[in-house]
Amino acid sequence: MDLSHIWHNLSEFLIYQKDAPMLFSSGIFWFLFLLFIPIYAALKNRRWQMILFVVAFSLYFYYKSSGFFFLLLIGTSLLDWSLSRMMLKLGSKLAKKLCVFTSIVASIGVLCYFKYANFFMWNWTQMIGGNFQPLDIILPVGISFYTFQSISYIVDVYKERVAPTKTWLEYLFFLSFFPALVAGPIVRADYFLPQISQNKKATRDEVYLGFWMIILGIVKKAIIADYISQYNDLIFSNPTGYTGFESLMGVIGYTMQIYCDFSGYSDMAIGIALIMGFKLSKNFDFPYKSSNLTDFWRNWHISLSSWLRDYIYIPLGGNRKGTIRTYVNNFLTMLIGGLWHGADWKFVFWGAMHGVGLAIHKAFKPILNKIPNVWPVKAISWLITITIVSLLWVFFRADSWTDSLAIIQNIFTNFRYDYIPVFLSVRYIWVVMISIIIIAHSLPRRWYDVISRWFVHSPWIAKFAIFVIVVQLVLQFMNEDVSPFIYFQF
Amino acid sequence: MNKGNQYIGLWLILLISLALFIVLSAYEPIKICGVEIRTTKVYERLTREPEPTPEEIAEAKQKEAEEKAAKQKELQKQKLSEPQTILFIGDSMLEGLAPRLASYAKENNHKLYSVIWYSSTSEVWGETDSLKVNIERYKPTYVFICLGANELFVRDIATKRDKFVKNIISQIGDLPYLWIGPPNWKPDTGINDLIDKNAEKGCFFLSNGMHFDRTSDGAHPTRNSAIAWMDSVVRWMAKSSAYPIANMKVPSEPTARATKQTVYQPKR
Repeated sequence: MDLSHIWHNLSEFLIYQKDAPMLFSSGIFWFLFLLFIPIYAALKNRRWQMILFVVAFSLYFYYKSSGFFFLLLIGTSLLDWSLSRMMLKLGSKLAKKLCVFTSIVASIGVLCYFKYANFFMWNWTQMIGGNFQPLDIILPVGISFYTFQSISYIVDVYKERVAPTKTWLEYLFFLSFFPALVAGPIVRADYFLPQISQNKKATRDEVYLGFWMIILGIVKKAIIADYISQYNDLIFSNPTGYTGFESLMGVIGYTMQIYCDFSGYSDMAIGIALIMGFKLSKNFDFPYKSSNLTDFWRNWHISLSSWLRDYIYIPLGGNRKGTIRTYVNNFLTMLIGGLWHGADWKFVFWGAMHGVGLAIHKAFKPILNKIPNVWPVKAISWLITITIVSLLWVFFRADSWTDSLAIIQNIFTNFRYDYIPVFLSVRYIWVVMISIIIIAHSLPRRWYDVISRWFVHSPWIAKFAIFVIVVQLVLQFMNEDVSPFIYFQF
Repeated sequence: MNKGNQYIGLWLILLISLALFIVLSAYEPIKICGVEIRTTKVYERLTREPEPTPEEIAEAKQKEAEEKAAKQKELQKQKLSEPQTILFIGDSMLEGLAPRLASYAKENNHKLYSVIWYSSTSEVWGETDSLKVNIERYKPTYVFICLGANELFVRDIATKRDKFVKNIISQIGDLPYLWIGPPNWKPDTGINDLIDKNAEKGCFFLSNGMHFDRTSDGAHPTRNSAIAWMDSVVRWMAKSSAYPIANMKVPSEPTARATKQTVYQPKR
């Protein structure tokens, strides 16, 4: 064994690699987290040293994911914090507004440049005619998330909902807090800043509850979502190459995949933060149990929908300016929410359709409220909601408008019942995974509390065994390939 | 750790788990009741020799190609001007390509043996000796391969399939060969790069980027498009192949039957 090779390979892992961002489900993160824990534990009682250490780790985490864009994060935090402190000293409301305006323009400006410049320019050249050469812009990971955090901070300071942090370091801690940095949940200043001041130590139960959430997150993200995505990718990469039944399975699969992927990552983030003694708000609350779109958005990506409500919908007038304006505000909020997900018309369409759905639900609410809430009504409501949500995910996932329509059309025109038994026998692992999600999603909430309590108080060896089994399952499924069914054509 | 006792248990779980997975990775392959227990490969990743830089790879490849070419040039030239016995193996794409190559063979007095393994991948061929067996059976003087269409979207392909691609090429031995890349209908996850990296210079034909008319499955080129595809390969061979076959006049018939065609059913 050559030690120089080990050192060389280890250093390769530790430097920024464009194609290998540091995810919570990656081995390198857990190796570093293992080093992080004892140092963090030792520094927890020395608040400033702890803050400095976590900020340094967070910036390194960001460097591993986005290279030298961590400097941009530092720059954004410096500007926000300076303007927030300036607001404290300024008496004039106009001057304060100017500070807020400057901060928001800077944050949105940076976001627009990195995320939307090519999109806007492409649309512009389409309108005026001419050739469009896209700019070679790399999108910094997590910029959409921390931009929203930065806006919430500056607005909350202006509205005097939170006091500006005394030091820049505390604000940088808030903005760069690594568990929530690259994929949320979007942390709100009024919820998080007091936790930095209190510097509460995590209890033993919280540490293991955090660990349990991480394990749940790994199961959702690294086992289920990553496995089922392989089949879904095949369907979405060749929309007309499969039967309608297979396409339908792909759509259901993607509906489950995006939930497991995103909520799994959120679970891991919340769990890691909890181990450190910080509470992040819940980001998903059984969204696919919802029986209407309003309910769905109360339970799906909660940190984003509540952010959109507080910083876009309400400032637009919310429901205070009449019925029509309420619908328009709802629609605009969802439109912006759609665009936030990516610089593409498909996201705008997806957001807009949800906006329309929410408006329709609001409009019919007085009538719907008169219908008795018995189980057949609940079942039909649920079915309508999940169908709308799933169909709209097609537009979200497919590469183009044409592909989306092709998949949906395929479901209705080329269903082929004879493929069902073949599918069930060949894709049985996929079917088992989907069944697990559906069953897990249908379980009563209190069961989860019972299981998590059991885990927290279980013997050390049980926790160890569960963790090892879960990691081994990740490894087993990681290399499992799902091949396309080209031979079905013959 | 005395100020953070609540962390000791968790820390030990993580530490022992890490140690366990590192140790296990040093002993692969591990099988329990016939099931392969996959490992983190941490041990291998940590102890492997540093990978050469792309420049070093290119330089070594160039040098290797030049040396090999110099040795075999004369011999091959002589041989490649004679009638060839061609073995053509691969996936269902051979349905379109092999009849056109057979037509070239007929026109130019070569023999063609084709082996179609439906739904096959580099993994399927790379983990078996099928190619070697067919080489022993037909004693070809030239090998054509068309593989990769069934693995366009496999994630982490560079790590998963590298050994299989290498194994396929090693089964060919010293015979001249040409690997025809898959006709992408969407961007791939790296299969073309992987084959290109492993194949000898001038032995890989990149089909990605060519225009294809497709059959209703959206993947396979139509009969006419497959003919045009094979014609492009032959034209490319004359100019850029490491081992150009001398007699490859364009045939009068669009397609023909191979001397012998073998069909393997999908593995699953």
